[in-house]
Amino acid sequence: MAGHRIEGDLSAVKEIQSVGGDTVKKCYQCATCSSVCPLAPDEAPFPRKQMLLAQWGFREKLLSDPSVWLCHQCGDCTKYCPRNARPGDVLASLRIMVTKELLPFKFLNTFFNNLWGLPILILIAFAYIMLFTLFTFKGTPNFFDATSFPYNDEIHYKIGFMKLPARVVMIDLVFLSLAAFVIVLMANAVGKLWRTYLDYYKVPQAYRYGVGTILANYFIPALKEILDHSRFEKCGANSWRATPHKMLLFGFIILFITTGTVFILADFLGMHTPWNPFTHPVKWLGYIGGILLLYGVIGLITGRNRAELENSLKTSYSDSFLLWLILLVGITGFAIVVFRTVPVLYNLTGVAYLVHLITVFLLFLSVPYSKFSHLVFRTTAVTFDYYYKDVLKKMGS
Amino acid sequence: MANSSILVVGGGISGITSAIEAAEMEVDVYLVESEPTLGGRVGQLRYYFPKLCPPTCGLEINYKRMKANPHLTIYTMTEVLEISGAPGSYKVKLKQNPRFVNDNCTCCGECEKVCEGERISRFDFGLGKTKAIYLPSPMAFPARYVLDKSALAPGDLEKIMSVCQYHAIDPDMKEEVFELEVGAIIWATGWQPYDATKIDNLGYGKFNNVITNMQVERMASPWGPTGGEIKRPSDGEVPTKVAFVQCAGSRDENHLPYCSYICCLASLKHSLYFAEKYPNTECTIFYIDIRTPGRYEKFLNRATNEAKIKFVKGKVAKIEEDPSTKDLLVTAEDTLSGRRVTERFNMVILALGMQPSTIGKTIPGLSLDENGFVVETDGIIPVGCAKKPLDVMTSNETATGAVLKALQVIKRA
Repeated sequence: MAGHRIEGDLSAVKEIQSVGGDTVKKCYQCATCSSVCPLAPDEAPFPRKQMLLAQWGFREKLLSDPSVWLCHQCGDCTKYCPRNARPGDVLASLRIMVTKELLPFKFLNTFFNNLWGLPILILIAFAYIMLFTLFTFKGTPNFFDATSFPYNDEIHYKIGFMKLPARVVMIDLVFLSLAAFVIVLMANAVGKLWRTYLDYYKVPQAYRYGVGTILANYFIPALKEILDHSRFEKCGANSWRATPHKMLLFGFIILFITTGTVFILADFLGMHTPWNPFTHPVKWLGYIGGILLLYGVIGLITGRNRAELENSLKTSYSDSFLLWLILLVGITGFAIVVFRTVPVLYNLTGVAYLVHLITVFLLFLSVPYSKFSHLVFRTTAVTFDYYYKDVLKKMGS
Repeated sequence: MANSSILVVGGGISGITSAIEAAEMEVDVYLVESEPTLGGRVGQLRYYFPKLCPPTCGLEINYKRMKANPHLTIYTMTEVLEISGAPGSYKVKLKQNPRFVNDNCTCCGECEKVCEGERISRFDFGLGKTKAIYLPSPMAFPARYVLDKSALAPGDLEKIMSVCQYHAIDPDMKEEVFELEVGAIIWATGWQPYDATKIDNLGYGKFNNVITNMQVERMASPWGPTGGEIKRPSDGEVPTKVAFVQCAGSRDENHLPYCSYICCLASLKHSLYFAEKYPNTECTIFYIDIRTPGRYEKFLNRATNEAKIKFVKGKVAKIEEDPSTKDLLVTAEDTLSGRRVTERFNMVILALGMQPSTIGKTIPGLSLDENGFVVETDGIIPVGCAKKPLDVMTSNETATGAVLKALQVIKRA
């Protein structure tokens, strides 16, 4: 031990405090939180230890700790915390900090987690979409004339056997490039996270399996658990969140399937939209997804307001940002359908379309830079949880 | 104009000390107590700090001094309603509740024998019962019975009156409101245990074998409801594994935001009670920090050496009952090993925090802080646990110090 000096990192502490973890310093390590937590395992309880690590600003240690992601912010700890140190809310801020650690272009994380960054983000999204619009529509279309934007029938592109209208090429260029960017970043981050966990838990080389084995043996059960929300449902104080959150997740999955189907049908099979809003089955699939999304997100927003009154949950800017962004995605999505169908509103379709694209753009980009990253990182941590428990069992036998 | 007498409110150890120290300075002192007897919390204990004396030890010598002093007037069953005036000339309105027993009473106990109606004993924290006519404490001062009319069984009143050959029972006594003029006031109303049922995760009131530290004191007392045996309320068995839950209510913004000062020492003391009577009983103390102010650290060493104590650094936040055995499953994180443990115990003792008796009361002329403790103003001097959580020794230091302050107030006015 001699000569080993522990250095705190004040900048990390300030960062945690600025994204919703302002109460972290109140903790006096009584461990009430770890006892009441319905999700913490006996052999590695949280969040008491993570509170201490956060007070010292130990970025590396927090990065290499899956507990940060196993926490679902039930708020039981916050409710019983004798110092109002709000461990549940602090852990949410740690997730934002860890997300920032794991990804390049950190300024984007700053923009996503501060109100002042919002106009910049909107400008980025707008500029990126406009760039491709000007290019594909060969100049500035009239956004107040739906036959000019988005339903311009005059400009088409022939790519191989496919004949695509301008808006489809624009959307493909914008979102395929964005999706590729996000996927590369996240894949990289997940790899980094996984290796950190392996090193932190000193998993012997013999038990470090390839991606295929991990996916088949541990990712599938993790996915089942996530779809089922079985951990989430164990929460005490804020168990109300499990159902709307589940609906929201299902909404996203259905919308993902819808989008994929549209992509294949339209781009490759030439069945171009807009489709009949009342009879087309894919439209109906989209509506169901949209309704689940709206139901889920509205449930989460109203539930959070109630929980704030009970003092079991605090809603930080990062929380509100994501919820309201999802709400806007849902509302603008339905707005397009309505505007397009109602003749007097028809020419507003272009504006709704543009706003919808901006919100969806921000939602995509928020995966690596906002609390939305939990979609990927919590899944990673839950998978690791299954994996590590299995490794322990195998090492023991 | 100035009045040179002193009012002492509260007849526990601090109030008794202030009253007698002042009266021995030949100042007129009024001592008022809301209960039917003096003695306060110390009177309920088995042993008290610092030297682990039984309460008879400290109280009796003071009672003797009080009996001999002509400057002291004592009112029991009396509360302060209102204070007006200024340092040197306070007017205090008081209310005395009827005792229904006059000073003819000799404590012969004949009435108690024939009385059938019973009441739950507050003095024993609900662990025992008394008759409707009862002696408020084994060492009651004044040594007089008291009658709780609401607990009388039909026909009781006639029976107890006919058996009392001293004509001490007076069912027609009325509540009296009166006024005193004094120069200074020493406020010594002490403390009460925090309401443990408010701590919903610790199971008090739901699980029989979760008890409080003050209930342990009553059980350990030879004159207590169990005759000195510390037993499980569920089946009367002596526990072999006992958990102490420190900071039950204290240092908790949801309950009492402050440290109650004495609970760590009380649990160590209780471990010694077990060591003295049941050497096989194992005690586990779950704590955040063991706080033994000043020289009390020596007491920690003593308890560690003499009693069977296991310390676990981690606050208990979950208690469940095994319905078949009425044992308790106690969950805490052992923060030194970083693991969460759930252990089985026969009994759980909550190291319950203290709350000032003034909490929630509004007495015009008396100012309280946000936690209900009395704030010192020019001529109103809080002492003991009405001022802040303290042990007996330090309470007495505040009590003697307050006498000097009160005398200064009187002299200056």
